[in-house]
Amino acid sequence: MAKIGVFVCHCGENIASMVDTSKLVHAIGEHPGVTVASEYKYFCSDPGQETVKKAIRENGLTGVVVAACSPRMHEQTFRKACAEAGLNPYMLELANIREQCSWVHTDKDEATGKAIEITRSLVEKVKRNNDLKPISVPVTRRAMVIGGGVAGIQAALDIAAAGREVVLVEREPSIGGHMAQLSETFPTLDCSQCILTPRMVEAVQHPNITVMTYSEVEEVDGYIGNFTVKVRRKARYVRMETCTGCGDCIQKCPVKKIPSNFECGLGNRKAIYTPFAQAVPNVPVIDREHCLYFKTGKCKICEKSCQIDSIDFDQQDRIETIEVGAIVVATGFQVQDTAMYGEYGYGRYKDVVTGLHFERLASASGPTSGKILRPSDGKEPETVVFIQCAGSRDASKGMKYCSKICCMYTAKHAMLYAHKVHHGKSQIFYMDIRAAGKGYDEFTRRAIEEDEAGYIRGRVSKVFEENGKLIVRGADTLLGRPVEVVADMVVLATAMVPQSDAKDFAKRIGIGYDEYGFYNEAHLKLRPVETATAGIYLCGACQSPKDIPDSVAQASAAAAKVLGLFSKEQLEREPVIASVTDATCAGCWGCVIACPYNAIDRKDITDRNGNVVKRVASVNPGLCQGCGTCVTFCRSNSIDLAGFTEKQIFAEVMAL
Amino acid sequence: MGIQEQYRKEAAELLSSGAVKLVIGYGEGTTADRRRPVFIRSAEYVGRLVLDANCVANLSAYLVQEGLLSDGKKVAAFLKPEGIRSMNILAAEAQLDPEQVVILGFDIEAGQATSLSGRNASDFTALIGSLKASGLSPELQKEADRLEHMGSADRFEYWKAQFSKCIKCYACRQVCPMCYCRRCIVDVNQPQWINTSSHTLGNFEWNIIRAFHLAGRCVACGGCDRSCPVNIPLRLINHRMAKEALDTFGHFAGESADQKPVLATFRQDDPETFIL
Repeated sequence: MAKIGVFVCHCGENIASMVDTSKLVHAIGEHPGVTVASEYKYFCSDPGQETVKKAIRENGLTGVVVAACSPRMHEQTFRKACAEAGLNPYMLELANIREQCSWVHTDKDEATGKAIEITRSLVEKVKRNNDLKPISVPVTRRAMVIGGGVAGIQAALDIAAAGREVVLVEREPSIGGHMAQLSETFPTLDCSQCILTPRMVEAVQHPNITVMTYSEVEEVDGYIGNFTVKVRRKARYVRMETCTGCGDCIQKCPVKKIPSNFECGLGNRKAIYTPFAQAVPNVPVIDREHCLYFKTGKCKICEKSCQIDSIDFDQQDRIETIEVGAIVVATGFQVQDTAMYGEYGYGRYKDVVTGLHFERLASASGPTSGKILRPSDGKEPETVVFIQCAGSRDASKGMKYCSKICCMYTAKHAMLYAHKVHHGKSQIFYMDIRAAGKGYDEFTRRAIEEDEAGYIRGRVSKVFEENGKLIVRGADTLLGRPVEVVADMVVLATAMVPQSDAKDFAKRIGIGYDEYGFYNEAHLKLRPVETATAGIYLCGACQSPKDIPDSVAQASAAAAKVLGLFSKEQLEREPVIASVTDATCAGCWGCVIACPYNAIDRKDITDRNGNVVKRVASVNPGLCQGCGTCVTFCRSNSIDLAGFTEKQIFAEVMAL
Repeated sequence: MGIQEQYRKEAAELLSSGAVKLVIGYGEGTTADRRRPVFIRSAEYVGRLVLDANCVANLSAYLVQEGLLSDGKKVAAFLKPEGIRSMNILAAEAQLDPEQVVILGFDIEAGQATSLSGRNASDFTALIGSLKASGLSPELQKEADRLEHMGSADRFEYWKAQFSKCIKCYACRQVCPMCYCRRCIVDVNQPQWINTSSHTLGNFEWNIIRAFHLAGRCVACGGCDRSCPVNIPLRLINHRMAKEALDTFGHFAGESADQKPVLATFRQDDPETFIL
């Protein structure tokens, strides 16, 4: 005979203001099988939990329903309370009368009626619940970090520092990411490469870190603690093991004029190249598309020039399979294609550039050795106009969000320009100056007060060329009049957008993304570095636009989450797993194909002589994640899910 | 030699040479224009085989009779293109080994039975591919279009009226090659998801569940339509589901013997229009 206790929580006023809890307690108290029904202001509080425990002990309850918030909030709290009172924790159900009831209704009578139905249906379910025991699975205590920018490097270093192995995967020939391209960094104006390259070197030299550059993640299988990742090691055509990075091959390569991605097209590279001087590892790659040998079958000058025979034209891409327990996604961002701003003339006028171009111009290692020279004729620009929010905060261009870093880097650009071109004049069109951050507002004030950055509040309607000058036409909304600035160069503070293949990649590894393609965190406030997929974490600008301090902080947070997971050898898992009824399974293998975790195998049923009489599906309890996909697929209804059995769900539905 | 004679001869050869143990074909029925399935185990009886424009039933359902193929021996079956498609699905769902079936393929064109070349399932891939474009017969298509243009309330009333006739005889299930489960979901009574009573709700539950179970699997052989004693146009529902599978996922049921089930597979370019 079922003895169910029902505990109705007020959640302060969250529930009680919209649900008549006394009426709910009264109604549910009459329901068959309910032994105890009571209400309290906060059942999640210590005295609240004590009430539940006491009721279990005194009445010998066989099941408990707490009518309160979402199980995502307090299921664990009350499971623990039940266990402490000697009841199997899986004999607890939470009836969600807050998120799914009181918060979303405005009519108290109707909300109360609904709360009664929700609670009653869970009472019917819990009557049919069974004792379950958690499953233990081993954890592979090795992490993979995808993306070798500053966020990925930081996460890898932190995990490695705690003594765990890390595989750092980067698709470019060198780690470093966007930060390696930057000139100086706000708000301290320290040289970006000077602070980044020591970290790059540390990562590649760390005994616990395996760096895989020029490699891409193809496929992720498995689940928290036990992922199997397939990584494509793209052919470099240069032997990593022997190459000393002397650069002879690069010098001799006859294919010269390939626009360098790293230099944003402002400089050239060869067909065999390292993206930049401090590349880590300092091993070049051959760009198959442009290489004369791959195009015509003749050349091999690099091979001849290499004194240690490290060129290998026969290299092939190979797939490496790596077992890891946790994955940190740090795939970063890209700069928005500014071509959509036809009115600003990007792509038409050589001297209209993006902020990232300007970084390369200002960088000591850049194509102009740090001199600010305009791309069209190499002259020093005397007036530079910076246009902020060129893409960001513009719903008509599809980017409703603020890219967060542009106000700061534009102020920095104006400052660097003032430092390098003393007579130069900078004009910045802005919507707002958003400088929230440690030392940030002081930094923008310094740009204005010490380096005479000219800020004009307003939007630019058009940039056009006249007599070799760029005419920037816009509005000064503070003075309420149109303005026209004659400029030598225009810098667009373009939006930070997700990588162009961000959505495809998310699908490949099984994480969620927002309307733009930025990856979704499990909870914006409380679980900002976890994804909804257990064991996969996020850091850096792949989640949302971020500057370096935020990316690094988030990387360390993700590393802490990984280390938390790795702190135990075994992971306790919910015993919510599927099982197959052999007698009725038709062996169509739909479930085998549908299972996202490859947890279902084929099993032979034999007679007593060992002859196979039938083959049926069989669930591996170690791999099953209890998602229920197989249950919904099975036409003969031969699969059931512990904790959510058909009988339980049916009873729950029928009680409504 | 007519097609009937040609196929009788071939059946006799297959049986006498021991290449197959059984030929599943059509024989005389109770009226002049009806055909019933016949099961020939010896060459001396091939004279009972009939092949003409009245041979419309999809005989592939007999291939999955329990135990028929478990001895590893071969069976020959008279199959129209739809039948070959359902055989492909049965193979894809591991219910039979296509190597064990010799296909005596035929089609019906302009009131005549015509032969199809090829004897193995894989010989018909091109033919089946070419069927993608062909839809329902003109009169059925007209009815399908009429339903498509109805408002959802009207359409619901239409099916309510149709399903109210259902007597739950399960003839549709019995005739369908896809209904090979040893225990049908309608027979599950712990818990009883589908109400077995012949009232509107129970009838809706049964017919809609069946349509869902046929999504991406129905080959439009029309067996359920013809077998329904109360003339519910079941083909129209199944056609709608097949259209959905084709338009949304490019899935044409039974294209090959290793086709993956559409509802169990995931592709990165699957449309996500229905996901919030």
